[in-house]
Amino acid sequence: MIELDQVTKIYKGEVLALYSVSCKISKGEFAFLVGPSGSGKSTFLKLLNRQETADQGSVWIAGKEVGALPRSSVPKLRRLVGCIFQDFKLLPNRTVFENVAFALEVTGRTRQQIRKQVPSLLELVGLSKKMHSFPHELSGGEQQRVSIARAFVNRPPILLADEPTGNLDSDTSNGIMRLLAEINKRGTTVVMATHDQHIVNAARRRVLRLDRGRLTADDAQGRYA
Amino acid sequence: MAIPLGYIFRETRGNLRWNVTLFAATIVAVWVSLTLFGSSLLIRQGVEQATGRWQGGIEFIVFMNADASEAQHAAIRGALDENPEIGGYDYVDQQGAFNEFITEFADRPELIENVTPEILPPSYRVKPTVGDADVIEALAAQFDTRPGVRQVTLPVEVIRTLQQNSQKVSVFVLVIAIVVLLAALMLIANTIRTAIFARRQDIEVMKLVGASNWYVRLPFMVEGTIQGLIGGALAIPMLFLMNNLMAGFVQEDYLELLRSLVVDSAVVWNTSLLVTGIGAAVGVLGSLFAVGRFLDV
Repeated sequence: MIELDQVTKIYKGEVLALYSVSCKISKGEFAFLVGPSGSGKSTFLKLLNRQETADQGSVWIAGKEVGALPRSSVPKLRRLVGCIFQDFKLLPNRTVFENVAFALEVTGRTRQQIRKQVPSLLELVGLSKKMHSFPHELSGGEQQRVSIARAFVNRPPILLADEPTGNLDSDTSNGIMRLLAEINKRGTTVVMATHDQHIVNAARRRVLRLDRGRLTADDAQGRYA
Repeated sequence: MAIPLGYIFRETRGNLRWNVTLFAATIVAVWVSLTLFGSSLLIRQGVEQATGRWQGGIEFIVFMNADASEAQHAAIRGALDENPEIGGYDYVDQQGAFNEFITEFADRPELIENVTPEILPPSYRVKPTVGDADVIEALAAQFDTRPGVRQVTLPVEVIRTLQQNSQKVSVFVLVIAIVVLLAALMLIANTIRTAIFARRQDIEVMKLVGASNWYVRLPFMVEGTIQGLIGGALAIPMLFLMNNLMAGFVQEDYLELLRSLVVDSAVVWNTSLLVTGIGAAVGVLGSLFAVGRFLDV
């Protein structure tokens, strides 16, 4: 599903973000990406949805080389790869419903389809009652749920999560983790960057450890430390 | 993939609703800039029109011998009537020449005392239909050698100077118009860019959920077009106002010079349409370039 082959990324020719990283993540897997700040976790994720391109090596998603895709194919790739972020990145001027609907709209879904799919997704993330609220009226955990609903509404085979619990307290974080586990159970491959060791230790999933851009450990049922 | 009209409409409406002040600022920028640009164009057209009139007003004078026969006069008149490059002529007879002489030398009675109408040459004041100095010179030469003609005088130097000057004025005004247009383009593009900069995070999110560049661009382009059209449309009454103000000056006899710069309303309409079209184009291109900077996500 996801494959990195000898990937090196250097920002502006001098800041080494990733160095010769190779790994494979199979369909339906749940993998944590751990490491201190600046270890290359975000860069790893950004290479997967082509927010960045590798300077050396190649990145493969579902059999296609991401770096070699023409620009016009990038939107298609992004519909295969849902994303959630530490700062949620919701559109502030839109309601919860509209934020989720937008991801369907850009793929050309009809309004009828949107009216049908969005409420069921919001039910999955437990926000049916806040459909018409604006992001600023929601708690951090609720905003992250909206962002998960938006990332998952297209049923992407891959979900990338960049510190999704970074701004949340531990109870709320556990709720978000249950949601991600549920999504993973439905067949979506989840790659999550985090430095929340409690979460990693509790989940007992695959752990990829990055340190100063190098992949230093890859444990099938790993722990944070 | 086709982009649904409903989406464009809703997005554009959303942009307008959340960015009222920037939307208005862009319209004002377009309005002011296009008024200035349109005014420069109108002045240029006024100058060209005025040049045409001044040049059309230039005449050459065919002086006849005082004793020229009626047959010689008839031949000259015939030649003047037949020539398509001659718009008309006035005949000043000896008495008329004498009256002019008196007026001109009113302060020198000793000259007037020695002159009688009989010794002054009658003349034809000929108005060519063309303004080109070379053509007028050739035209005048045709009459120089005819029997009964004493002399043909023509203000070639005056015409040449006028032609050169009006060309200079016309080029000068055109340069100003282009500079104003460039300034307008930059002002408008900057305002649109500010509006889009305020929404760069939205654009980033749109791109990350898989929106194509056109999906992001189109609502902004529609917004830019609306702004350009409104700004251009607002410039139309300003152009008419300017033209009418000049017409008003003329009526009040303030500035004789402005008389020639007033153009008729058809010219103002044409300029207005051009200006509105430029407004729309500037709006589209301005937003296209401004969005482009933020699409690289």
